[in-house]
Amino acid sequence: MKATNRTLRAGTMLAAAFTLAIGFAGTASADTTLTVWDWKNGDPVTADYYAAVKKDFEAAHPGVTVKYVMQPHDQYYTLLGTAISSGQGPDVVLLHGGSQAKERVSALTKLDDKVADIKGTVAGWDEFTGADGGLYAVPISIQGFAVYYNKDLFAKAGLDPEKTPKSWADLSATAEALKKAGVAPFALGNKEGFGADFFLSAVAANGWTKAQQDAWTKGDLKWSSPEVKAIVQAWVDTKGAGWYADGANSTAKFMDEYESFERGENAQTIGLISDVAHWKEFDEFLGADKVGVYVMPPIAGGDGSLKLPLAGGIGYGVTKFSPNQDLAADLVKSFADTDHMKIFFETAGAIPANTKVDTSDTKSPSAKVILAWLSDGVPLAHNNMSTAEVEEWHRQSQLLFTGETTVDKAVARLDDVQAQSKKK
Amino acid sequence: MAAVERKQKRVLWAISIPMAILALSAVYPIFFTINAALKTRKGFVLDRFGLATDPTFANFSQAWNQSRLSEYFTNSVVVTIGAVLLLLLVSSLAGYALAILRFRGSKLIFTIILVSLMIPVQVVLVPFYRTMIALDLINSRAGLIIAYTAFFLPFSVYLMTAFYARLPRELFEAAQIDGAGLVQVWWHIMLPMGKPALITLGILNTLYCWNDLLISLLVLQDQRTLMVGIAALRGEYTTNVPLLAAGICLAAAPIVIIYMIFQRQIVSGIAVGAVKG
Repeated sequence: MKATNRTLRAGTMLAAAFTLAIGFAGTASADTTLTVWDWKNGDPVTADYYAAVKKDFEAAHPGVTVKYVMQPHDQYYTLLGTAISSGQGPDVVLLHGGSQAKERVSALTKLDDKVADIKGTVAGWDEFTGADGGLYAVPISIQGFAVYYNKDLFAKAGLDPEKTPKSWADLSATAEALKKAGVAPFALGNKEGFGADFFLSAVAANGWTKAQQDAWTKGDLKWSSPEVKAIVQAWVDTKGAGWYADGANSTAKFMDEYESFERGENAQTIGLISDVAHWKEFDEFLGADKVGVYVMPPIAGGDGSLKLPLAGGIGYGVTKFSPNQDLAADLVKSFADTDHMKIFFETAGAIPANTKVDTSDTKSPSAKVILAWLSDGVPLAHNNMSTAEVEEWHRQSQLLFTGETTVDKAVARLDDVQAQSKKK
Repeated sequence: MAAVERKQKRVLWAISIPMAILALSAVYPIFFTINAALKTRKGFVLDRFGLATDPTFANFSQAWNQSRLSEYFTNSVVVTIGAVLLLLLVSSLAGYALAILRFRGSKLIFTIILVSLMIPVQVVLVPFYRTMIALDLINSRAGLIIAYTAFFLPFSVYLMTAFYARLPRELFEAAQIDGAGLVQVWWHIMLPMGKPALITLGILNTLYCWNDLLISLLVLQDQRTLMVGIAALRGEYTTNVPLLAAGICLAAAPIVIIYMIFQRQIVSGIAVGAVKG
């Protein structure tokens, strides 16, 4: 009993001392710490890249410590919002290109002067450019949609594994041959509507002219226009023609669709070129020599060339409230440094935004093909839709699959949403 | 007699089978998690439900080192110990004052504490966050300790008050006759006598603090606790399920060990909480 009493007393005394000690701990530091927020740095496949950036930066800047904080992705922009509203938080933040970056320009430092020396070597700036024309983040990856296919399943269907579809007629013939061989032509996950996004962007990429792409971005090219309606119709027709494995509306694109492709259950999938659902992952599962890649041909139109739909992927920016503006800008550039980007490419498989990265020793046949496409891309259509339009397209795409709406009704509804978004 | 026994056996079987299925449904997720943690990502994608035929512990070391769960583990340990000790200290003092000292307004204070038990954390998040910023307690472990103490204190005070109210008042009066002051009575009588309730509170608050995601997510934005670290293992679009499963195993291990050691006290804690004040 006495021992228990002594323990209890000691515990209560410790409580105050412990709390006070912790309260003071870590408040004083002579060195500078740069805090980086993202949702990637704890991923084992990116570990070497982040370790190299930290090591090299700290070696080049004695007394500076780079501190990575990986945030849960589903809470990331909420947490960033609270940091921005409170005016305190990380020095450097990772952002998606496009609306996520552009909506936060007011909280980011304009980097034009700081990145002038790397502007020519890094691609994908448009996605991180504010309405004032300023650059607010340095891209580290490029995003794009390509069709990956399983060469073994092509061969099983009597198709030439090295010959890829160049037109919609070719693609339809390929799908028919695969079906006859008992293979689902495409893996498709449209549980969240992402499958429809990918289809739209992939098919529109080479079917729309530059003027039509620009009109689409401005909201002037209507969903009921022949060019767009044809894609919506194709979405329904391809489902009717049995291109997709069953249950697309209840299959998550990430990662059920891709894992199904990786298991060899489907012949093709519209995948990415950034650090997920890409060549490296498919190579690992199917074997590099068994994975092929091509650009989705248009339903109609186009000039016969097939260009990859591309956009800036993700990039690092400097927060306005960072007390270490120059150091943070240096760190952001370090993420896009050629040597570091090479590690990012080799370990994570992400196509780097830095165009100087030496990829000549790449062994993967599909990676080589993708790299050759990068110099001449076309816009990603779904990136240039309003959020409301994207959400409505997700909904309508699912209703079209279940037969609860028609193409005419769907495009009429999407026209309304597009018009409302344009007014705003 | 034999017929009665046979009937009893049949009833026993009739109850046992659904109970076994129920038990299996509780045990299977644990088995699935451990099994998944022992697979490579490729092995998991190719066969999600099969046994890990070639088990690997690489996911555990990756989660611990590369995903920095070791660092987050330390944060969790520090804030949990700090908050639990502070909670025990404050709730013991408050319970003593409210149950024994019977000062003017003590019933009103106790009622306010009871009312605050009924307010969900989510409702006060915005003013809470603004207060933490104003006090410069964001991104400090002391801030999180104080936050946990504030949020879990009403229940702790309620429990200690209820417990102390059951003790014979003669103990307090006898100590006073012997010349003990208020603090001495708390130190020499109330703290030792409150041991069962304090142990229960310690266990329950340890579970709350260790498993918390919401408060920690808001307060410690630059240094993570273990549960937030685990949540961060879910990727943007993809999740490395074996890695996540390994992280979950690592995070659950201390709590499972604590539960195994103190399961009797945890169960009895429910009874202590049910005592009428």
